[in-house]
Amino acid sequence: MLMLEAKNIVKVYGELAGEGATTALGGVSFQLNKGDFIAIMGPSGSGKTTLLNILSGLDKPTSGEVIIDGNIISSLNGEQLALFRRKQLGFVFQDFNLLDSLTVKENIVVPMVLEKKSATEMEERVHELASLFDIEEILNKYPYQISGGQQQRTAVSRALVNHPSLIFADEPTGNLDSKSSTVIMECCEKIVQELSATVLLVTHDVFAASYCRKVIFIKDGLIHSSIDRKGSRKDFLNQIMDNLAILGGRTDVF
Amino acid sequence: MSFKQMIWKMAKAEYNKYLFYFLCNSFAVMFFFMFATVYFNESVVQVKQSESIQYVLTIPGVALVVFTIFFIHYAHHIFIKKRKSEFSLLMTLGMSNRDISKLLLLENAVIGLFSLIAGLLAGMIFSRLFFSLLMNQVGIEGVSFQIIGSMFLSATAAFLLVFLIVVGKSLFLILTRDPIESMKSEQIRETLTMKSPLFGGIGVAILIGSIIGLYFTYGNPVIGGDYLIFWAIATFLGLYISLLQFTSFIIELAKRSKQFYYQHILFWTNLDTKLKQLTSIFMLVTVMIMVTILYSTIILFSYMSAEKEAIAQNPFDIAFVEVDILDTSLLVQKENQLQEHISIPFYSYSQKDTYYDWTNTYTFISVDNFNKLTSRKLSLENGEFLSFINVDPEHADGYEKNILFPIESERRNFELKDTIFDKRINDVPNLGEMIIVNGNDYASLKERSDGEEATLHLVNVENWKESGPFVKKIEERLKTGADDQDVVQIASKIEDYERQRNSNGILFYVSTFLSVLFFFGSFILLYLHLFSSVEREKEKYSKLRLIGITALEMKRIMTKEIATIFFIPTTIGTTLALLYVVAMAKDIGGITKHPDILLYFFIVAGVYYVIQIGFYLFAKRKMLSEMIR
Ligand SMILES: Nc1ncnc2c1ncn2[C@@H]1O[C@H](COP(=O)(O)OP(=O)(O)OP(=O)(O)O)[C@@H](O)[C@H]1O
Ligand SMILES: [Mg+2]
Repeated sequence: MLMLEAKNIVKVYGELAGEGATTALGGVSFQLNKGDFIAIMGPSGSGKTTLLNILSGLDKPTSGEVIIDGNIISSLNGEQLALFRRKQLGFVFQDFNLLDSLTVKENIVVPMVLEKKSATEMEERVHELASLFDIEEILNKYPYQISGGQQQRTAVSRALVNHPSLIFADEPTGNLDSKSSTVIMECCEKIVQELSATVLLVTHDVFAASYCRKVIFIKDGLIHSSIDRKGSRKDFLNQIMDNLAILGGRTDVF
Repeated sequence: MSFKQMIWKMAKAEYNKYLFYFLCNSFAVMFFFMFATVYFNESVVQVKQSESIQYVLTIPGVALVVFTIFFIHYAHHIFIKKRKSEFSLLMTLGMSNRDISKLLLLENAVIGLFSLIAGLLAGMIFSRLFFSLLMNQVGIEGVSFQIIGSMFLSATAAFLLVFLIVVGKSLFLILTRDPIESMKSEQIRETLTMKSPLFGGIGVAILIGSIIGLYFTYGNPVIGGDYLIFWAIATFLGLYISLLQFTSFIIELAKRSKQFYYQHILFWTNLDTKLKQLTSIFMLVTVMIMVTILYSTIILFSYMSAEKEAIAQNPFDIAFVEVDILDTSLLVQKENQLQEHISIPFYSYSQKDTYYDWTNTYTFISVDNFNKLTSRKLSLENGEFLSFINVDPEHADGYEKNILFPIESERRNFELKDTIFDKRINDVPNLGEMIIVNGNDYASLKERSDGEEATLHLVNVENWKESGPFVKKIEERLKTGADDQDVVQIASKIEDYERQRNSNGILFYVSTFLSVLFFFGSFILLYLHLFSSVEREKEKYSKLRLIGITALEMKRIMTKEIATIFFIPTTIGTTLALLYVVAMAKDIGGITKHPDILLYFFIVAGVYYVIQIGFYLFAKRKMLSEMIR
């Protein structure tokens, strides 16, 4: 089932055809089906973040169309878009994006609060997710009192709290060590397998990407190639590294 | 690039923080100085010694000290908070705690000095400007503007004292605390350590107690005013404790009801995070609003009541005593002619006091003349006398009702029949109390003792407000006839009115000055509070926007927060002002006797609310546009 469709996305920063204009994306098209678990990789400056922001509605494309679950994202106005995003989409960020003055539990329920869900519903949902991602012990702590990995699991829980069908993650392991990265990627696997959601992530981290079912490589604002995972994770990891070598990006695996 | 150059470059790039800090400190100095220009003004000092103006200055004095201490502390706190990220960067680059302290000390010394100069200058300009404005608008007499050394000295000393303490505290923290710890501390929710309903209860008890205390002591003519400072301090203290405890109590309560708490989670956590800071702001703004409204009410009342007082105290437009035969040509006027003229002869007798070294003067009047004066139909037998006291029966408390006949040698011949309280004559010296006897006794008293007969003239003219020159003329005339020691026995509406306006003039000046000062103070404080947190709020909302908060929802939450900090203090401040008005009205006979005070209060409070709403709308708009940018 088609989840997301990107049609010929072009993004030009700065004035069109002006001197300082940068073409970040030069016409990207691809599709995402329900249950997909896809990583986007590419060298620094290749347009990954730009693409993710456009797909998730944080940014508008210069031309082209994004359709999620039948909704044309670019036709929604600011309010509608915000509502759509918090109902249908989940977000995980490199810097966790947690509110300092809220506890872990409070942070997780914020999207539900905005949706005016009942307190019992919130409590139930928090405990469900907390046990899934093993953060039950720290529910009443503040972000500055917990580790980066725990903060990211909190953020993942928050992204899932409103039962979104599509999760976007920009470098979710970018600020984490390898052990925490493993935990987070395992969380992403759980999201796909147990909650049957769709996950799209952007990463530099080959190790993180190897958890996905498919990797799309972009270079200079265009899709360069893509590979599907067929065998074991180990084989896939090697395959990704080979591809990156061709692409000319970073290939360190710690 | 050397280290020093790097620091200088960073400072230049971030001049905004310095500017903000500098402006806050200048403002504090200006505030101190402007208060000093009133407090040490010689015409005010003179009145201060004798009249209630001393008390008028008490509450604002206390409020000002509290305000300024907090204000400087707050500005410093914001400054340090903003500098922290740079300090931590510099520390990772190898600066020691000592170096940081040196840098901080240098920065503060420079900013402190400039603030002092700027604040004094601005204070001079503004108080001068304000003074001329007030003079032109209301035309008060008896106050002259002056700037003297003690004003500079006291403002400088007060500022430096607070500033040094605040900076010292920061330095101490930097030198003793773990740098990592001090960097981190700003994110932590400030939880209240001494949190208990008992404390809250004590706070409320102090608050209520202070107002009740004020109510019962302020009316006391001897010590009432002296307690004012005590009650004011108690009120502020009680207010602070109860605000702090009450806010945390409300938060606790909100947490109990999960549904309610979650629904407004951003609001509650925001309140919780900034609890202490917010409480201080609430408290200060409340106090300032209270002072502003209280003083504006007093001003309006005393200004409006000067005329009423003059009329109440003077049943006749002019009353005076003539010892010799009156030169009737004196009373002939071309304009503002006489409407009524009653002359009543009386007999005055002086006798040495039994215990003290002074002379008491007694006034005797025949019952027929008394009847003529008061339109009564009394009659007295021989040997009977009446005591007449020239005050309203309502104020009769405290007067001796069973007096003996004042002339000792005659005491056994006379018996008191009754005491009459009535306000019939202006407050002419020596005529406040009279002894009334019948015609026979009056004649024989005159014969037997060595007093002197005189005439009381009671005059009404067409328009008493124009009677100034006429009163002057009579006064001159009375003075020529008398020797220096004698009091000139004259009392008129016009002079009473002018006296009230004049001594009220200084009161008026001082109170208006303070009201305006505190009025702006509260606004600046609210503004400072709002815009010092703008960075943090921006960060918070950019995070929330990423997870899908709509602009409308953000607006709603912000509006709720801003409305809270604007209108909670206004409401509490107005309520306190009302209670103080009621308590202080005891001094003039209670609120039931002067219900018009309430009217003035509601006018003032209404105007304040309107302005506050305007300012709220302005600040809200500014804040929202700042957030959306
Ligand atoms: N707001 C912006 N204004 C102008 N140019 C921008 C803006 N954001 C990104 N760019 C440019 O667009 C191009 C793509 O940027 P993008 O952030 O998408 O790269 P990326 O693949 O995410 O890189 P990285 O791996 O370093 O995060 C870059 O050349 C960048 O300089
Ligand atoms: Mg990026």
